Amino acid sequence: MRVSLQWLSDYVDLVVDAEELADRLTNAGTSVESVERVTGGWDGCVVGRVLEVFPHPRADRLSVCRVDVGGEVKEIVCGAPNVRAGMLSPVALPGARIADGKLVGEAEIRGVRSWGMLLSEKELGISDDAEGVMVLEEGMEPGTDLHLALGLEDTVLILEITPNRPDCLSMLGIAREVAALTGQALRRPRIQVYEEGPPAEEEVRVEILDEEKCSRYVARLIDEVKVGPSPWWMRKRLRAAGIRPISNVVDVTNYVMLEMGQPLHAFDYHLLKEGHIIVRRAEPGDRLVTLDGVKRDLHPEDLLICDPGGPVALAGVMGGELSEVSSRTSKVLLESAHFEPSGIMRTSRRHDLSSEASYRFERGVDPDGCLPAADRAAGLIAELAGGKVRPGAVDVRARSVAPRRLELRVERAGRLIGITLNKEEASRILESLELKVVGISEDRLRVEVPTFRPDLEREIDLVEELARIYGYQRIPATLPRTSHNVGFLTREQRLRREIARVMAGCGLHEAITVSFVPGWWLEVLDPERRHLPPQPLRLRNPLSEEASMLRPSLLPGLLEAVRFNLNRRLVDVHLFEMGRVFLPLEGRKLPQEPLRLGAVLTGRWLPKPWDGEAQDCDFYTMKGILEVLMRTLHVEDWELESGEGPPFLHPMRRGTVMLEGKEAGYMGTLHPRVAENLDIPGAEVMEVEVAALVEAAKDLPPFKEIPRFPSVQVDLALVVDEEVPAAEVERVIRSAGGDLLREVRLFDLYRGAQIGKGEKSLAYSLVFYSLERTLREDEVREIVEGVVGALAAELGARLR
Amino acid sequence: MIPDELAREMESHPAVGPVFKRLLLELERADDARSLERVRIDYLGRKGAINALLQDIRNLPAEERREVGRLLNLLKSRLEQELEIRLERIRERELEESLRLQKLDVTLPGRHIPYGTRHLISTIIEQIEDIFLGLGYRVVEGPEVELDYYNFEALNTPEWHPSKSLQDTFYVEVPGGNYRDVLLRTHTSPVQVRVMESTPPPLYVIAPGKAYRHDVPDATHSPIFHQVEGLVVDEDISLGDLKGTLENFARRMFGEDRRVRFRPHFFPFTEPSAEVDVSCNMCGGDGCRVCKWTGWLEILGAGMVDPNVFSYVGYDPERWSGFAFGMGVERIALLKYGVPDIRYFYDNDLRLLRQF
Ligand SMILES: [Zn+2]
Repeated sequence: MRVSLQWLSDYVDLVVDAEELADRLTNAGTSVESVERVTGGWDGCVVGRVLEVFPHPRADRLSVCRVDVGGEVKEIVCGAPNVRAGMLSPVALPGARIADGKLVGEAEIRGVRSWGMLLSEKELGISDDAEGVMVLEEGMEPGTDLHLALGLEDTVLILEITPNRPDCLSMLGIAREVAALTGQALRRPRIQVYEEGPPAEEEVRVEILDEEKCSRYVARLIDEVKVGPSPWWMRKRLRAAGIRPISNVVDVTNYVMLEMGQPLHAFDYHLLKEGHIIVRRAEPGDRLVTLDGVKRDLHPEDLLICDPGGPVALAGVMGGELSEVSSRTSKVLLESAHFEPSGIMRTSRRHDLSSEASYRFERGVDPDGCLPAADRAAGLIAELAGGKVRPGAVDVRARSVAPRRLELRVERAGRLIGITLNKEEASRILESLELKVVGISEDRLRVEVPTFRPDLEREIDLVEELARIYGYQRIPATLPRTSHNVGFLTREQRLRREIARVMAGCGLHEAITVSFVPGWWLEVLDPERRHLPPQPLRLRNPLSEEASMLRPSLLPGLLEAVRFNLNRRLVDVHLFEMGRVFLPLEGRKLPQEPLRLGAVLTGRWLPKPWDGEAQDCDFYTMKGILEVLMRTLHVEDWELESGEGPPFLHPMRRGTVMLEGKEAGYMGTLHPRVAENLDIPGAEVMEVEVAALVEAAKDLPPFKEIPRFPSVQVDLALVVDEEVPAAEVERVIRSAGGDLLREVRLFDLYRGAQIGKGEKSLAYSLVFYSLERTLREDEVREIVEGVVGALAAELGARLR
Repeated sequence: MIPDELAREMESHPAVGPVFKRLLLELERADDARSLERVRIDYLGRKGAINALLQDIRNLPAEERREVGRLLNLLKSRLEQELEIRLERIRERELEESLRLQKLDVTLPGRHIPYGTRHLISTIIEQIEDIFLGLGYRVVEGPEVELDYYNFEALNTPEWHPSKSLQDTFYVEVPGGNYRDVLLRTHTSPVQVRVMESTPPPLYVIAPGKAYRHDVPDATHSPIFHQVEGLVVDEDISLGDLKGTLENFARRMFGEDRRVRFRPHFFPFTEPSAEVDVSCNMCGGDGCRVCKWTGWLEILGAGMVDPNVFSYVGYDPERWSGFAFGMGVERIALLKYGVPDIRYFYDNDLRLLRQF
């Protein structure tokens, strides 16, 4: 909302400067977004009095004027038809700049020297009127700077009004706040209506058919109006408020709305059938062309202002074109009504049409404000458009509204705010906001809430008013006094942090990808839905098809991130993400949202050093990362089970992550077909359930004794069939090796000419020791022989 | 050898002198370990020159013999010492030479050790968590796909509130069900309600997490973003406590010298409500582009929990009072680290990720 300080000072004395006022308003909840200095957008213009007008000797439509520009008389050539001797008019002197930025100079027009120019309103940027020169009101001294003369120097505060404060959508409402915040008195405009002629009710009838949505309708009738431009002072104020002046009648309705917060509408009485206003909901077939020229089909929930012939206005939103006030209008029916907020909001949404009126009705207008606003506007129309106000307002009330009464416990209010508050101070604050303290008993105040504050419904609302006006900045900052709160992270939260740190420590960058992905990912990754849910969750109103599915896996997001980087020639991409995926639960409204850890590697793992070779990311890089993770979390029981796995992985390079014997995720090389579809060179990927990791993680293990006796290392090179998994070999070694075998480590893998085709050689180093004694050579030899025997028997392995 | 009294005596001795002089010459010539070894063999060896002289002096008169013997024994030990010193010197020199050959260009880059990073958003969430853990809060969570009830209704949001529209909220289509009240939470506030429903007061919690709004992405809007919600419910909690708590937080997060401002505001689920600003770090409060010339940066919304919300969860509003606050993590990242565009957080551009 734009608040002109010039205008505001009609209602309250401004005792602080604009900046201080902005601060006080902001600190009281009416946020001032900016402070705007208003000028005309031109300079070098003065007031001039046209002394004489002669026809131009060589041009029919031009005249030559002798203009007093303050002590000097200049000749100015002018083409405006309305120029006449004696008028006061704005003059741009040579060197002046007008609203469109043009510089005015001395010019010769058809042989006559023109010393500057007389200006139209358009040339001053005041209105679109370029027809004639602007006529200034009498009383201005020729030569006066035009800014001063027009009172254009103004400061406008741009306010952000929160939705709970409809009362602040008016100059009077803001003035009330300012008065409370500066200790000044509020001045209301004097409302005067001189009524003449037969009573209005003889020619106006109002019927409210929907009492739910319209609680009151006040109509006033003004006859013999002359529609024309408004006086400068009103146009200036409307302009400062950001509203375009239209005509005196329409401007008055806007002016009073801005002043008092009550939206008004003016109908051309002669264009209404029988002077009969009917407030009702739309009926089938109802249509209306609104003032913006749009033909609208109406919805049964839309509230309408109708006459017996049909709709004439979309109630509280916008008037209809057919009953619009125009230059031909001579009789005006003025509407000042109260409409229920949510209905106006729905209608405004439905028609994608919002107006100053609907904005106010949506937030709640003073239900008791209809009559004074109607009177104020009628009085102004009579004054400015020369109309005659017919006696009496036609005032139809569906129901009356009594001011609300609330109890305030002052001591409790003080405790909630964190200050000590007494009844006197509380009363003073409330009354500064025009709330009436109607009773005081012990610790309580009985407060009557005026109808313009619909937001004050409960005791707590009064507490807020007290805190706001008392000043948040004055409330002492304290901490809660109780001490029974103990802060800690749960085990799961702690482990999640640990997991993320390990992944980053391994050289992966944490990514956060968006939770929505395009539906086609399902087709790319898993067309037969063997792994991903057959029906994922979708958004009913996605921003686009590309963001329509809630991710059932972290993989699409991570692969998208890979693509994003590849497109920017960042080819070595190592990412992980910890985030939720969304899996529908049969028969449940809310899905499962398991937290997953996902990772993707592509390109080189180690870039080429200056003295060696680069190392590409491969299956075993990802596996190594998984191993570090498991070790750091002290997960003892885990393995990568080969064989089955998601269809988007290379069938020969994938595995299921098993934690304590249960499936917890997958790991493997992206299927080359998928990689090709995505136009990436290939990737290693994994995805694991974080909950499973957390469950399998062990706390730090108890101390294990460090051997004091020397250990014995034995290396074994074995030849086994290619199909025998290394994990099997190690399992057999460990079980046959017994308690004294402490470490088994694979240090070589060989395939080639020295062994048979379809065979591989695995070389292990075995470490034995005892905590009690030095092992004898023969006992170690015996164990190793047992190991070799078991390997031969179980896996057909032989020593190489 | 040290040219002292003894050396002069040896040099001028008729029997020892010539050997001594020759020895000095040869020592001078020996410049590596091998030639020094030859000198040792030639003079100290069993068949060396000194032993030879010792053989010879048997023929001398006893007195003279004793004198020459003494000199030769001294010479022997002196020579041993001397050889040791010279050998050490030569080894030193040889080591220096070989070290010189091992010279490295220490300015060459080191071996590549893979390093990774946390996402800035995660880091900030942990920073926030840690500040509140220190104040005795616990961290709680709730679902991202929520029910209208938790996201709006129980938070006192009226049925017609603008944020419920399709233009502001993502609604979720649940397979196999035609529900109209399943949505992506528009803030982390529903966690408040869930926690209060399941836990009796007192409560000191924060709830970090993702939230969603139906916004077309631009520099300051993202359909997905992160929030941290805070909730305290206890006896005698005041607006002053909220103020103290958030001042404390803002100074930890943004710097001890920051000023903090509380402005009344409006939220459906708190009353009284406040918006909290910190003084702008870019301009120190004088006004700049970042703070839109106000000197203040808005960082969070807060307020006293509305008694209506308490009634929804069955807390007695006469006994308990509390405050809640919510902040946007991306906004904090924008303000604290100067990231100019919210979309950067979800591109996962390595050039950004590697910076933090
Ligand atoms: Zn700044």
